[in-house]
Amino acid sequence: MTKEEFLAEMQDVLQTEEDLSYETVLKDLDEWDSLSVMATMAFLEKSFGVKTTMKDYHEVTTIGDIAKKAGL
Amino acid sequence: MTTACFENIQIKGIKTVVPEHCVNIDDELEYFDNNPKKLARAKKMIGYGTRYVADQNTTVTDMATDAAVKLLQEMGISPDEIDLLIFVNQNPDYPRPSDACIVHGLLELNKSCTCLSINLGCSGYVHALMCASGLMSSGAFKTALLLTGDNPAHDIRVQNRKIAPVFGDAVSATVLKYEKGAPKSFFVTGTDGKNWDKIIHPFGGQRLPYQKKDFDLSVVDGNGNIWTADQGLMKGEDVFNFTMEVAPQLLSDTMNAAAWTIQDVDLFAIHQANKQIVEMIVAKAGIPFEKAPTETFSRYANNSVNSVVTVLCDQAVGKTIGNTVLCTFGIGLSWGGAAVDLSEMYNGGISTYTVPKNGKTRSEQIMNWINYFKGEKHD
Repeated sequence: MTKEEFLAEMQDVLQTEEDLSYETVLKDLDEWDSLSVMATMAFLEKSFGVKTTMKDYHEVTTIGDIAKKAGL
Repeated sequence: MTTACFENIQIKGIKTVVPEHCVNIDDELEYFDNNPKKLARAKKMIGYGTRYVADQNTTVTDMATDAAVKLLQEMGISPDEIDLLIFVNQNPDYPRPSDACIVHGLLELNKSCTCLSINLGCSGYVHALMCASGLMSSGAFKTALLLTGDNPAHDIRVQNRKIAPVFGDAVSATVLKYEKGAPKSFFVTGTDGKNWDKIIHPFGGQRLPYQKKDFDLSVVDGNGNIWTADQGLMKGEDVFNFTMEVAPQLLSDTMNAAAWTIQDVDLFAIHQANKQIVEMIVAKAGIPFEKAPTETFSRYANNSVNSVVTVLCDQAVGKTIGNTVLCTFGIGLSWGGAAVDLSEMYNGGISTYTVPKNGKTRSEQIMNWINYFKGEKHD
């Protein structure tokens, strides 16, 4: 998955209309709530085989941090 | 985890009833900051749709009695045949006696019928099936009636958005029969009592009995949700972590107990916590989505004890299904999986409970107990 594809997927996962970049701060997004965390967990597991827990998301700051977890 | 197997017992019929009053999430835009996009996002991600909410005078035993009367009538079973009644519910009519005994009287069941009440929530249906099967396998009981359900939505204030849109009320009746040669059924159950406080209604028992001033308590969280002493509490993140740890494994353990593969199973009825959670469990367990419906959540919400029965009554009515896996988890924390053959089961679907016109008011009930105490005539 390319960086651009990942960002497009994340836009769908979070159900947000904001333009995303690796620098986007999650806290600044209205849609970054527990639903989005669960959706992100499901996305990482399904698309990258990466298992995460809710706790892991207490430490992420940006979209780039999520990409890192995905191994991108 | 415990694994149990029973022979000669068959689920013969099920029927669910829901209250008349239907709430549609589309009418609750105000709780999404009047922003249709936020509402649409919640509908898509969580699966919010419609839910049925019992009125303040309707109790679980009212709906359970209605479900039982309808099911027995539709199946042509006489109340006299029932020799075992198990009632699963967390909102009883009274602290005592048990609902099972009250409904025994309302249904005019035989005096030789054994009655038990079980206090479990989301995992309760599988536990009730297992208990009934265990007792029946002795051969002493031939026809069991399970009444399982709850009215979680009935207590919740609509302003408590953490839980209000998630829960709906539903109660069901199930008939089990002892029949030589009936296919085996398998059960896998477990409990994590160290996490007893993760889903809880803290007030109203002996530990924290209600006092007058408790009703002034009103706590607002950072998102504007209001909690009052008459409502339950849930640690969402912990419950979610528990669910993702337990439920996919439970599906696999239950199939293993029955020596079934995914291909052998017609339907996975999974507790409808919400659409997103069910989809995550299904994905993690590697089950095809078409075998594990989530639409029931959007139509009836999370029905606590009755959730898996609501799935069967909603998704399997009018269809022939055989091998079925039930997967339940929740308050306790507690979980239960069952592998059952439903090919001989009558499916009565979902009916509406109509509130009787002659119900007693609150003050009439209180006056009745006052007169009861004073030794005057009561009904």
